Amino acid sequence: MGLILPPSLSRRRLLIGAGLSGAGLLLNGCGTSLGSRRVGQLTEPLNQAIEQLLLSQSPVPEFPISAIQPDQLLINTFDETPQLDPEQFRLVVDGEVNQPMQFSLADLQALPFKDMVIRHVCVEGWAAIVQWGGVQLQTLAQLVQPKAGVRYVFFTSADGYYESWDLASSLHPQTLMVYQKNGQPLSVDNGAPLRLASPIKLGYKQSKWVTQITFMNELRPRLGYWEDRGYEWFAGL
Amino acid sequence: MTASATKRNAKFPSQSALAKTFHWVNIIALLLMMASGLQIYNANPVFGGRAGWDFPELVLLGGWLAGGRAWHFAIMWVYSLNLLAYGVFVFVTRRWQHRFASSGDLKALRASQNEKRKNFAKHRLVYTAIVPVLLLAIASGLAMYKPAQLHWLAALFGNWQTLRTVHFLTVPIVLAFSLVHSLLALKVGNLRLIKSMFV
Repeated sequence: MGLILPPSLSRRRLLIGAGLSGAGLLLNGCGTSLGSRRVGQLTEPLNQAIEQLLLSQSPVPEFPISAIQPDQLLINTFDETPQLDPEQFRLVVDGEVNQPMQFSLADLQALPFKDMVIRHVCVEGWAAIVQWGGVQLQTLAQLVQPKAGVRYVFFTSADGYYESWDLASSLHPQTLMVYQKNGQPLSVDNGAPLRLASPIKLGYKQSKWVTQITFMNELRPRLGYWEDRGYEWFAGL
Repeated sequence: MTASATKRNAKFPSQSALAKTFHWVNIIALLLMMASGLQIYNANPVFGGRAGWDFPELVLLGGWLAGGRAWHFAIMWVYSLNLLAYGVFVFVTRRWQHRFASSGDLKALRASQNEKRKNFAKHRLVYTAIVPVLLLAIASGLAMYKPAQLHWLAALFGNWQTLRTVHFLTVPIVLAFSLVHSLLALKVGNLRLIKSMFV
């Protein structure tokens, strides 16, 4: 199942939303998705500015291995689960870089290993303490050498999911491209062969089945699958 | 000002414009925070997770999770800045010394034979006690909103489930408080006292 889906704005629902709900009585229709989006647009620039101010490049304190909650990490996908052959898998890293590159899973596993025990926080409200292991995105960035004007990173997934991040969050020491979860090889449901993981962003920012990482100077019109449907873009924790 | 007008002013309770504004803004902001908060709650109920009971659409605001979040993270500014402004006002005007519960009220509750004085003390105690709950709503909310950057704040609450539970419990506490606060105000100063706070 995906994140909670937007309600279809049927006439009945609009009437319920606008006329009957307790707050709706007060607001007369602002409780609908469209009205909420306008409200969010009013304060999201301020909220994002504060999130960027709070963001620090020092690592978020981690949890002990004993704190891992294997059963708490729920599976969310927006569509179907792609089956990728780990042998054939290639990660493309391109965009505004001096040295575009391709990595096989073995190439990635040969790079310096980094793992972390962090809290994975879903926008839905649940959270789970998880161990993720893989390679720092900053390691990949050092290899491809982003050009001076790069400010954003775009992640393309095999299932059609897409995400974009600010560069500072992408280069955070705990922003990893992972192939390991809780000491085991990553399962397909959790995003194998390769997914994004970080303690500093909400779960929907952490794309699974990532096949392409693109460094960019400007954001694309398509920000991210859930962002384009009304969720916050920065989504910093 | 005539003598009779002075007399009437003394007889009818009057509130400062700032106290009135605080009450109006606070009550509206809290209603919006609760309705949008319950919308967020429904995405993954605090009690029982995805299998848990959720709140009926009638009390929700936002239409779906992203809408609930949009409202919650917009109105949080109105709620907290209003509370901050009122805090500064209470501090600067020294109202905390004579308008909030004191040791005198505790003594009156224990020893006084005067029923009116006791109700007065009870009322002051109740509306003073809500202040830390209003602040707790902000602290627990911030801890859940930014658990990585404010990890020290999140750590104060122990684990995630406790943090979510504490934040949620501020809703029934605030609702119960509003009821008791209103009933005690009625008892202490009749409808005139309540009216004086809002008009």
